[in-house]
Amino acid sequence: MKMLKSVLAATVALAALAGAAHAQDKPRVAFVPQLIGIPYFNSMEEGGKKAAEAFGVDFIYTGPVDANPVDQLQIVQNLVNQGVEAISISIIDASAIAPVVADAKAKGLKLFTSDSDAPDSGRDVYVAQASDQGLGETLIDELVKRVGEDAKIGFVSGEATSSNLNAWIKIIQDRVKEKYPKVTLLEPQFAGGSSDRAAQLASDLMTANPDLKGLIAVASSTCPGVGQAIESAGKVGQVVGTGYCSPNTARSYIKSGAMGFTVLWDPAALGYLTVWAGKQLIDGKPFVASNEVPGMDHPIPYDEKTGILLLGDPTVFTAENVDSFNF
Amino acid sequence: MPRSTTSTALKLVILLVLFAAIVAAFGLYQPRFLQTSLVSTVLQFASMLALVALGQALIVLAGGAGIDLSVGGIVSLSAILSMMALQAGAPPVTLPVLAVAIGALLGAVNGILVTRIRILPLIATLGTLFVYGGLAMALTAGGSLSGVPQWLVPFGRGLVGGVPYHFLALVLPAYLAAAVILTFTAWGRWLYAMGYNERSAHLVGIRVDRIRFFAYCLSGALSGLAALVSLAWFGSGRPNIGLNLELESLAAALLGGIAITGGSGGVIGVLIAVLMIVTLKTGLQFVNVSTVWQVGIVGALLLLVLLLDFLIPRRRA
Amino acid sequence: MGARIAGSIGGRELTLLVAGLVAMAIFAVLSPVYLSAGNLYQVVRNSVELLVVGLGLTFVLAIGGIDVSVGMVLGIAAIAIGNLLLAGADPWVAALAGPLVGAALGAFTGAVIVFGRIPAIVATIGLLGVYRTAIFALLGGSWLSGLPSSLSDIFAARIGGFLPASYIVILAAYLAAFVVLRRTPFGLHLLAVGNAEERARLAGVAVRRVRLAAYVVSGTLCGLAATFYIANYRNVEMTVGSTVALDAIAAVVLGGTSILGGRASLLGTALGVLLIRVLQNGFTIVGLPSLWQPVVTGVLLLAALSLERLAASGGVRRLAFGAP
Repeated sequence: MKMLKSVLAATVALAALAGAAHAQDKPRVAFVPQLIGIPYFNSMEEGGKKAAEAFGVDFIYTGPVDANPVDQLQIVQNLVNQGVEAISISIIDASAIAPVVADAKAKGLKLFTSDSDAPDSGRDVYVAQASDQGLGETLIDELVKRVGEDAKIGFVSGEATSSNLNAWIKIIQDRVKEKYPKVTLLEPQFAGGSSDRAAQLASDLMTANPDLKGLIAVASSTCPGVGQAIESAGKVGQVVGTGYCSPNTARSYIKSGAMGFTVLWDPAALGYLTVWAGKQLIDGKPFVASNEVPGMDHPIPYDEKTGILLLGDPTVFTAENVDSFNF
Repeated sequence: MPRSTTSTALKLVILLVLFAAIVAAFGLYQPRFLQTSLVSTVLQFASMLALVALGQALIVLAGGAGIDLSVGGIVSLSAILSMMALQAGAPPVTLPVLAVAIGALLGAVNGILVTRIRILPLIATLGTLFVYGGLAMALTAGGSLSGVPQWLVPFGRGLVGGVPYHFLALVLPAYLAAAVILTFTAWGRWLYAMGYNERSAHLVGIRVDRIRFFAYCLSGALSGLAALVSLAWFGSGRPNIGLNLELESLAAALLGGIAITGGSGGVIGVLIAVLMIVTLKTGLQFVNVSTVWQVGIVGALLLLVLLLDFLIPRRRA
Repeated sequence: MGARIAGSIGGRELTLLVAGLVAMAIFAVLSPVYLSAGNLYQVVRNSVELLVVGLGLTFVLAIGGIDVSVGMVLGIAAIAIGNLLLAGADPWVAALAGPLVGAALGAFTGAVIVFGRIPAIVATIGLLGVYRTAIFALLGGSWLSGLPSSLSDIFAARIGGFLPASYIVILAAYLAAFVVLRRTPFGLHLLAVGNAEERARLAGVAVRRVRLAAYVVSGTLCGLAATFYIANYRNVEMTVGSTVALDAIAAVVLGGTSILGGRASLLGTALGVLLIRVLQNGFTIVGLPSLWQPVVTGVLLLAALSLERLAASGGVRRLAFGAP
């Protein structure tokens, strides 16, 4: 232990000398996704890289391999220690991030959320893909249009602990209670991150409820499983699959008819906007009610009261338009 | 057991050299890595793993194919159950006691399955991993339980001279106590003896089952302490807070020089291994190596150390 | 030999069979849709990968080994198959590539354990990490999705409108495994090594080769499971195989194979897998949230082993096995 301490002490002193010499030439903007290795966040990374080139910043993309809040927190803490000027996070678990916010503030670093929010954490801004309200309502409205106002609908979600997924489920449940009293929503089922579990749960739901009309894949990781289950149960046409699925993931299921439509935004644009927002924060430029972002085709609204930058309305992908998207 | 003590010392030296090499390599590549906040960060994230790995180490040391796959489940479930008890009206002051007691109780269930019903530890604790981890998720439907008393939060986040409170107040004392007990008390010698050769331990009158049962309770209690750290740190109880701890703690214990067959190794090595794993992860993040490499590097390190372990005594022989 | 086979179809298999039938009867009473052909087909279909991985693990456990990295081997093989299909390879080539990749990885796992002299549990924990990183690196962050359905057309087609075609292969694999275990010198050696390694060595058994072979068999079967996985799901995501190992170990042990080695029950493995899947499916059908499924698996495993232990010690023999 003693030896360890002296090694550390000596190296710390050394670092103090070397630290000054190692200056960064460009400001850095980091994005920490909920987990790495899924196409959705990969697209955000692509968009972020593009923005980094356009706005002259260094872009760091790093996240946990499991959607585990402790691992995510550790990554954020490391970025804070590195003194990364602006750090954006897609929150896994809203309260888990609290410990590091104060630390970042004390170091004068900008900490903000993107894709999934932690509203009461003291973050600088939330870069939202679309309002949670808009996402939930668009999906259920489009689905009811296809399955009727007295349909029975099931959910297959991902991790039970994801706060953004649970928020969408809640909004859909509220919307149904208020607007479609005859629709029956089943209890959500949670598949974790795996598509075989999602397929298993989806097929069990269809069997348990022969009158099931709609099936919602809440997490993008559950999309292939839900689509596949509808196809292999021979229920194409009887059950309408849908969810928050990217066109590339859902394309074959939309074409086979297993999925009637899916709802999503362009994650690359979200990544682009995230890096732009980071640069604005570093430069100390305030957001205005309507922001012109170079490289984006429409102005980005900002709500001062909630601190939310809004990418725009979600896109509905159907058999007609799915081929014109590639993400 | 002079033979095993020399090999323990040798392992400790290998480990320290490896640790120093890792710190130096990161420091040379990226001098900013060696800032003072590194120590705080590493210790902050090491506490839970350190507590759990200590329990794991004791169980493996006690032999009899001892292993505890359920530690992560115990951490999650004792965090959840103690918060539920609070919400059901238990006085907030009792939270620390509750977390540890529930952990010990869950550990005792493992102990009964192993020593009374005589199910092999690997399978018994695989079963309780499913049950404990599953219950924590099912009881909460995945949501986290808030309402940790405010006075506890500084304990989870505060530093004294750059060292987190919980590391000073829980981890160091726990390891010191364990080291003292293992080295200087009859209980410790019994544990090594039964791990080394259970049959002869039996013959000389060591109450093997009772000690082993106690080791499982202790491992449970240490997991309960880890749960307490998580509650204080995050201010809420999370049903998956113990995710992956079973394999990480096992990797730490074995990397730290505990022989999987039991009866050999010491807990100081385990603490060093824990710090090394967390430092390695931190360092890889610091130099922006994708996190996908972390699991692989830790896995490869484990294999490497065990291969060295196998090569060195051979060469000397 | 005959007595031994009869002896191997003992209490455990019967208990599992009875437990499965009782559970199915209860589910059928609770839900009118439970016994539908559609639902039973789902159970059968969802059991495919676990049946195959479980068969391989039975060999590994029989020699007193263990492997917690089997799910990752399945994953790597699935990536190989998926990439071949995307490159337009013949489906039969892709189907064979799975077991080949699996065999190679199984040989590597076995070599680390046997020649590195690292205890199996430790070695496979380390390899789990290494293989997992390999999966991340191979996928490079993007999933293989919307794969061509050429493999599905072969293995997911239903025979007689019910049984997936993959079951022909599975049945053949179980039969072959049975013959190997009970009718060949290799099978005898395998169980001998599991029973008492030192005595087997003294009796002239090539212990290392036998142990290595068990891991190669297991790896090959993981690769076969990957072929079926692709046929069933037509996509490979990053978390592929992450829950397979623990589920499969639970099923094999439930089936009566001891992790101490020397005893292997193929029928038990199959029944263990099917029982776990029957319960998971049944509880979902009757409306228990899916988050309870691991609890069900864990309680089942512990209850089965505890009851057997207690029965062996004479305490509750009747309770465990019921009246004949």
